[in-house]
Amino acid sequence: MTQAAYLRMEGLSKAYPGVVALRGARLEARRGEAVALMGANGAGKSTLMNVLGGVTLPDEGSVTIDGAAVHLRSPREALAHGIAFVHQELAMLPSMTVAENVFADGFPTRFGVVDSARMHREATTLLARLGCNLPTGRLVETLGPGDRQMVEIARALRRAPRIMIFDEPTSSLTSREKARLFDIVQGLKRDNVAIIYITHFVDEIFEICERVTVMRNGATVADRAIAQTSPADVVHLMLGEADSAERLADASTGPGPVVLDVANLSGGLLRDINLTVSAGEVVGLWGLLGSGRTELVRALIGLDPIESGTLRWRADSELQPITPANLHRIAGVVTEDRRGEGLLLPLTTRANLSLTSLRSLLYAFGVIDRGKEERLATDMIGQMHIKVSGSGQTVGTLSGGNQQKVVVGRWLATNPRLFLLDEPTRGLDVGAKTEILKLTAALAHAGAAVLVISSEPEELLRICDRYLVMSRGRITAQLPGTANRTDLLAAVAAAPTPSRAA
Amino acid sequence: MAVSVEHPAGRRPGLLGAIDAKQAVTAVLFAAILILLALFAPSFFRRNNLINVLVQTSSLGLMAIGMAPVMIAGGIDLSIPANMALGAVFGALFIEAGGNPVVGSLIMVAAATLVGLLNGVAVAVLGMIPFVVTLATMTVTTGAAVWMTHSVSVAGFPDSFFDVLLARVAGVPVAVYVLLAALAAVGLAMSATPFGRYLYAIGINARAARVARVPVRAATCASYAVAGLLAGLTAVLLSARLGSASANMGNDGVVLDVVSACVVGGISIYGGAGRVTGAVLGALLITVLSNSLNLLGISYYLNLMIKGVVIIGFVALDGLKRRTA
Repeated sequence: MTQAAYLRMEGLSKAYPGVVALRGARLEARRGEAVALMGANGAGKSTLMNVLGGVTLPDEGSVTIDGAAVHLRSPREALAHGIAFVHQELAMLPSMTVAENVFADGFPTRFGVVDSARMHREATTLLARLGCNLPTGRLVETLGPGDRQMVEIARALRRAPRIMIFDEPTSSLTSREKARLFDIVQGLKRDNVAIIYITHFVDEIFEICERVTVMRNGATVADRAIAQTSPADVVHLMLGEADSAERLADASTGPGPVVLDVANLSGGLLRDINLTVSAGEVVGLWGLLGSGRTELVRALIGLDPIESGTLRWRADSELQPITPANLHRIAGVVTEDRRGEGLLLPLTTRANLSLTSLRSLLYAFGVIDRGKEERLATDMIGQMHIKVSGSGQTVGTLSGGNQQKVVVGRWLATNPRLFLLDEPTRGLDVGAKTEILKLTAALAHAGAAVLVISSEPEELLRICDRYLVMSRGRITAQLPGTANRTDLLAAVAAAPTPSRAA
Repeated sequence: MAVSVEHPAGRRPGLLGAIDAKQAVTAVLFAAILILLALFAPSFFRRNNLINVLVQTSSLGLMAIGMAPVMIAGGIDLSIPANMALGAVFGALFIEAGGNPVVGSLIMVAAATLVGLLNGVAVAVLGMIPFVVTLATMTVTTGAAVWMTHSVSVAGFPDSFFDVLLARVAGVPVAVYVLLAALAAVGLAMSATPFGRYLYAIGINARAARVARVPVRAATCASYAVAGLLAGLTAVLLSARLGSASANMGNDGVVLDVVSACVVGGISIYGGAGRVTGAVLGALLITVLSNSLNLLGISYYLNLMIKGVVIIGFVALDGLKRRTA
């Protein structure tokens, strides 16, 4: 505690209908220091940063800068208080030049015409400050992610910010670019800028941050000096204490034969993935956000392309090669984005449930037998205890838990031998979570192979027979079903984090 | 653990309101036209004019039936009328050269279906933007039709061609029966077959449809082929009615009429909503509107302006509905 905080956010709360995003969150940042803002998915980091950016108005709480209370009602006001963002998915204008991108939010003009000479001169100066000598006339679309980020940082620097927020700046950088970025962050600290650094990579914060603030469920749970903590501590703080989570199913002792065998799969973020899943087994895919969990599931069923690797599937009692597209035809898939990639919200519960089974519901002339369709829907609604007024209720009006049951039920109706579940309990309340977890265990009990992703270790601990630990696109460890919470957290904290090659 | 209360994350009552508003607007518009006609142009209600309106509706209606699946799947096919004209010209040239009129008619349908299929491949397989692809197809097909005919109408259909296609059964022209048959077939396909369900699913959320194993490419491609098929059917009937085929049959004004018929008939320009029946009723409304403005002695150009305003109004309602959804 060497100096008073320059930025102080205190007691911030924000509720949306049905969701509390922030509950008394706080954050402090000091000039010349970097504070890491950490938290699992949905912990409230984004909302907190939106408050700072003037995008979201909090219900309660205060923001003070340099001892004076400020009201940030618009991004413009945030800018006026010296707050600048370096966004993760760079909001760039690809077909425009470097200089134009640096000045996109306010071109220097002379007599109402853009003063091109001055723009290029100033852009060159800003970039030089970053140790970067990009030609300012180059089109941004010809730049790699690292150089684009330099442009983005130059844009932020232009207003001489006193507070800079980096939102997952390294997620698409090579190790050399990352080193350059860290140099820049150190330089900004020397220039007395207060830095807020958001990342999912625990190791990074120990390299360049002085403090770490951890959020969980909308609240700030810790604010510590980096020197007084460890990666394991931080992961532990992010994920919280275990709820009293008893297992919903005994860890299966002898799973059935291997049904899916993945060898040397690479593509996108994924590097050299090897795994097997057996019938009657729930395999937990465990890793922090950005570790490649979702990408792996998507690649398996051909939603994202793969570069190399082979998939084999058990058919006729032996493992035979299969393409991702064909695996998609036999696997049940629940994606993490239920509303964006799961349901057809304006349609009825019935139509959503029957979508995957239409071809088995036909009678003459390829016409769907409405009676059969209705029976399928009623069966699933009964079997899964979906709370609806009737099979004709619009699915968009169901609660989150019931919507998720519709997505699972749709696949259940096709009787698949493999389920891929990506964050199946996301956004559900406690009761609905338990129901979905029970259902997952029941699927395996009925003989299906299940690969499940969750950001909450407690959930995996309740149902998994085995764990695969992922980090930066690789499977870095495998843990048995007897592993406990400490083992899972240790596996993530200890995961080697090889920097990706360019 | 977050103790968030599950809430019905759904649509607000505004949606229903917007649907009602749209239907109400349609009904009021229709009623207003009929009242105006009764007052100022009672000749509209003469049997011959009514039948004439139905026959005109059949051409526009068939094309609107073809457009419906495409729009429901979130696409658009601006080439339908131009494609229709090209098909008509192909078949007419064949018949003029002494070919069998039945084969000639099949050529019309096949040629237009093929062009539709090419649109489908461009959109579904090559991932091109429907608006641009079909606009280009429209230009290419129009150009081809003009080039092949040297801008001259191709006539020379044998009497048998007219005897069959212009016949009346129980006082109603064959074209109207064809319209009703096409409505029944495509309407059933859209409401009761996997193909139709897939198109709605794609129009509502193509990503979700893909995850749910919907054959997105094949279904999208087929929707454009259906549009081509209906354009071909229109080509046959319209050639018979006009007594000739020409590149001008599918002029630019017709495209607007087809899109308007769908939009006025409740098919969302954003995809995922609407019924084929609506498209045909929309075609009826557009035809009556044109016909009545004619009878009321309103100039063609004012007529165009009024139609344009009606369309903008309905697209605005569509957007309103979407925002409240």
